Amino acid sequence: MNKVVAPRAVFVDHPVGRTFGPPHDRERNVAVLATVLAELPEFTHPGMVRDLGCNWVRDGSRTWEEELRAEMVREH
Amino acid sequence: MAFEYLPMMAQNSAPRPPRILVKPSKIAWCVLSKPLIRSRVALLTSAALRLPSQPPFVPREDLSFRRVPSDPDTGPVVIDHHSGIGAVPKTDPEIVFPRAALAALASNGIIGSVSPLHFSFMGGLRQHAEVEKELAPALGHELLRAQVDLALLVPY
Repeated sequence: MNKVVAPRAVFVDHPVGRTFGPPHDRERNVAVLATVLAELPEFTHPGMVRDLGCNWVRDGSRTWEEELRAEMVREH
Repeated sequence: MAFEYLPMMAQNSAPRPPRILVKPSKIAWCVLSKPLIRSRVALLTSAALRLPSQPPFVPREDLSFRRVPSDPDTGPVVIDHHSGIGAVPKTDPEIVFPRAALAALASNGIIGSVSPLHFSFMGGLRQHAEVEKELAPALGHELLRAQVDLALLVPY
């Protein structure tokens, strides 16, 4: 994101293709979107990327990365 | 520590050369004119997403866009993007195109209103100049016409 200099960008640390949460989790979709939009006043100049501190799983585990790698290989 | 997507994306795009990230010729910036609670918000998605009744996007260098009604009750949407991560979002496009979530925020008074239309195009295009000179201005015109204050682009 730094390289393409978006006017305002946020980093949501979820698996690619699942930005707003797991499928069919409407409560989480709304929560993530509300968090994204609430960040707007924090931007002061173009190119800023703000990390929202989102965890895919509550305990911050990264096991989803291996699952995502396998999924990407399988789908390719 | 963020997951390292780029090496995998490069591997998946082979034998074509990896995509390069291009800085725009003109840096975009607009000062917010209204608070969120009074703003009209639109979604932009690079998922090549559309209504089933609309013409499909053509892989891989389609510079067109689709207008997607913002009302979730207008029916389902389909994703044409060829990405290798498509299986899951295709089961529930809301996780990359939060149309219902945005409507919920409007109902709850978090945002002022939802644009009547959202906009969709093909992500991962390699024609960077055409994106900047053709696609982006066309989308900008649509956003102005819809009197949108905030546009949220969700990359796919």
